[in-house]
Amino acid sequence: MSENHSRLNGHEPGDFRKKFKIAFAIVSIMLAILIMRMWHLQVIRGDELTQRSENNSVRLRKIKPLRGVILDTNGQVLVDNQPSFDIIFVPNRNRNIDEAAYRLRQLFATRSLTFSADLPALGKRGWFPPVKLEKNISMEKLAIVETHASDLPGITIDVVPIRQYLNGEMVAHIIGYTGEVSREELKKDMSGDFSVGDITGKDGLEKQLDQYLKGKSGAEQVEVNVLGKEVKVIGKIEPVSGYNVVLTVDAHLQKVAWEALQDRAGSVVVIDPRDGAVLALASSPAFDPNLFNGGISAEDWDDLSNDSSHPMGNRAIAGQYPPGSTYKLIVAAAALEEGLITPDTAFNCNGSFQFGNRTFKCWQKHGHGRVNLHRAIVESCDVYFYNVGKLVGVDKLAEYARRFGLGQPTGIDLPREKSGLIPTRQWKQQRFKETWQLGETISLSIGQGFNLVTPIQLVNAYASLANGGTIYQPRLVKRIETADGRVLKAFEPQQKGSIGLSEKNIEILKYGLWGVVNEGGGTGHALKRREEDVSGKTGTAQVVSLPDEKSRRRKYIASKHGDHALFVCYAPYENPEIAIAVIMEHAGHGGSAAAPIARKIIDAYFEGKNSANKKSQPPLTVSQKSQAGNNR
Amino acid sequence: MKIDRRLLFNFDWTLLFLILAISLVGLLNIYSAGYSLDNFRQETLYLKQTQWIFIGLALMGIIICFDYRFICRFAYVIYAASVLLLVLVSLYGYATHGSQRWIILGGFFFQPSELVKLSIIIALAKYFDDHIIEGRYKLRELYIPFLIVVVPFLFILKQPDLGTALILMFLILSITFFIGIEWKSLILACTGGMILIPLSWLFLRDYQKERVMTFFNPENDPLGSGYHILQSIIAVGSGGIFGKGYLKGTQTQLKFLPVQQTDFVFSVFAEEWGFIGGVVLVAMFLILILWCMKIAMHSRDLLGMLISFGITMLVFWEVFINVGMVLGMLPVVGIPLPFLSYGGSSMVVLMAAMGLLLNVSMRRFILYP
Repeated sequence: MSENHSRLNGHEPGDFRKKFKIAFAIVSIMLAILIMRMWHLQVIRGDELTQRSENNSVRLRKIKPLRGVILDTNGQVLVDNQPSFDIIFVPNRNRNIDEAAYRLRQLFATRSLTFSADLPALGKRGWFPPVKLEKNISMEKLAIVETHASDLPGITIDVVPIRQYLNGEMVAHIIGYTGEVSREELKKDMSGDFSVGDITGKDGLEKQLDQYLKGKSGAEQVEVNVLGKEVKVIGKIEPVSGYNVVLTVDAHLQKVAWEALQDRAGSVVVIDPRDGAVLALASSPAFDPNLFNGGISAEDWDDLSNDSSHPMGNRAIAGQYPPGSTYKLIVAAAALEEGLITPDTAFNCNGSFQFGNRTFKCWQKHGHGRVNLHRAIVESCDVYFYNVGKLVGVDKLAEYARRFGLGQPTGIDLPREKSGLIPTRQWKQQRFKETWQLGETISLSIGQGFNLVTPIQLVNAYASLANGGTIYQPRLVKRIETADGRVLKAFEPQQKGSIGLSEKNIEILKYGLWGVVNEGGGTGHALKRREEDVSGKTGTAQVVSLPDEKSRRRKYIASKHGDHALFVCYAPYENPEIAIAVIMEHAGHGGSAAAPIARKIIDAYFEGKNSANKKSQPPLTVSQKSQAGNNR
Repeated sequence: MKIDRRLLFNFDWTLLFLILAISLVGLLNIYSAGYSLDNFRQETLYLKQTQWIFIGLALMGIIICFDYRFICRFAYVIYAASVLLLVLVSLYGYATHGSQRWIILGGFFFQPSELVKLSIIIALAKYFDDHIIEGRYKLRELYIPFLIVVVPFLFILKQPDLGTALILMFLILSITFFIGIEWKSLILACTGGMILIPLSWLFLRDYQKERVMTFFNPENDPLGSGYHILQSIIAVGSGGIFGKGYLKGTQTQLKFLPVQQTDFVFSVFAEEWGFIGGVVLVAMFLILILWCMKIAMHSRDLLGMLISFGITMLVFWEVFINVGMVLGMLPVVGIPLPFLSYGGSSMVVLMAAMGLLLNVSMRRFILYP
């Protein structure tokens, strides 16, 4: 140690020695205290604490929060919560799950009810945490369990909130559905907010707005007696309810749209061209989101997921269709704006168009004769647009299609939106390693060929023409509110860009669309109202072939090779307030199969508006009436 | 680098054996803590912990290759880096259970507050080794050590991570006592601290105050600490003298225990191995700590002595506070049990610290180059 002396830089080694001794002593004494405490707990109080661990009577129970309520634009409730009753088994060394299940089965059998729980395999040593035996039981079963509580040791009822979707199918594709959080979702969750068994949004707005809707779990410390019944709540943290969501959707229009679809495959989207607010969005066939409450049964899930009519898919945002003649708007816009035609440019239609050795037919076998742009739009003359499309060329067409927002997601606040497809020369080169054929441009000019659009894109494109050229991002959510009605977040209209057409050209096109509905020979005359206020465009998308599918819902596929019927429109002519796209799969012609559905919605919209206006005018009082009489 | 044969000859096999033995106990225990939990997040805990042990051992191997005097030339750099990480945590860190402690480092979640414990020890040792004075330290001679400690301390309080803050306080007190301080200065410093703590209250935000209050009054949070303590006491007590047997702890396997793989890992052990097992484990820690102190005593210089003593005290305080908390003698604060609690940051940093101890031990006879 003496050699260390010099290296301790003047410190007395003896000084440190003393300190080490003190440290030795402190460490030993304090660790000895720990051992004494263990002696106290494990030896002196060992038996008592063993008893307590066997009947461990204090349990921490999670309280699920209420998910936020979803309301329509007028405050009508679309999604609410309701209590659901689950049968729980709380294990203990003295209890047997099989016995409990046996008694339940017997009790239920006396009322000819079945007890259909899959009993979990016992833990390796007979120990396992509380088990959910049956979820969402009927009131009848609940009554049986409650009245026989004393004969059912270990069985308790857990009350949890579940989603209640009023008019479930009608809004299924907007709202989506909920379910228990999956393993994948748990893995991705870094915040630690989720735990096994939590409810989370799986599709639609339930998924999109989950962070607002879900709320925060509370917890409860409860004392349980030997029978597993709760005796006393010792401590509690209240759960925090999720925020409420107010939609732009009008439940009445939504109902009209959904009912007009009448169980046929298709979709309807209604938006307000002035700000992109979605007033209705229906897709058929739909599913009942209530089926997913407390876990969907395997049978129901198979039924839904294997159905070839795809009830789970939202056709309004993920259905991709050839636009058919509705695409002629884009062709005309491109040709006008590029200066390739004027409104007076005319072509002769004799019923077909010859290109090389191919013949492209007009839908009107006998031809339209000599037509100018306006008449070509009104009568939807194919030959006219073959000529114009050839002038414009595929890449210019694609440029204008993209300006109108086609071929790209609109950004609507729903998950799983598809982008559609707008072909270009380059795209075909990359995709097929083939050069673009001019003949393909000819098909493209009447909306056939590679191009695909979604109904939401289509309605948004027409809406942007209607509002004078602004592309809005369609939105379903107006605002998010706290449970006591305070606005947490209001969603403002989002401008995404402009279609970039001159005012003059916009007027020319709008006049053409007005003619489609209101002029003689127009393909959309089904929408001609007394007010002559609707403008629109029909479309019929040819379906080349469909694989031979078997559907349990055969009625949806009336004719598997029939054309898709399309209709896009807006109203009124000045300052349009409503734009609608209707697509009916394999339903035939747009003018006859899709337009009547749009008609119902337009009628409902203006009816509702008029009655609202009448209501807002205060009725005349008696004195006012008599005054009016005197004046006469 | 030429390896001095004396280094191998003086290698402290006993310390390495003790570390490995305690780590193995920890691994078996974590396997039990994660056993029978259907939550998949716990399924592979012990595999991950094994991985952390090996990463820690590798780091330990690197550390013993260089003379600790050489390593300590970078003491302030290491210190600055760890404080920078703390700053990053407060800016971009991940929060869990209401406390922002984590940062992603090379794809892993890392807890810089663990590293800070070690880097403060090294920085203080370096400072005191460079600034030797005759006799005991007076307060005005301690302002740099004070700054070294107080900067990371405030960031850790802000997270808030009261467990680590508490450990740091005990650590500093131990080192100060060891290096020697005038009685008058000590009293002055303590009085100053007592005045400063209530003052700092003014700078805390409401939610932070709430957390601190919950810490001092567990009854405010009946579902948190109070419940944890009760279940932990039942678990330990029901272990009895001989324990319920490995993998047979009912408190553990029925998930009554909170955070049973991290802070409450000792109650899992005490339930399954009983009083006998508990005594053996505490004795293993005692031997480890006393052995480490012996290394400090016999180190060749003040730097080695201070590093070893600091690390020894770190392990001691963590063991004492953690076990004391699990046994219901001390309030619940988040402190891991060395080598037993699940957690990569804690394990890797501890292994690095043990590497420094081995380093000091094997070079005790080497004269200055």
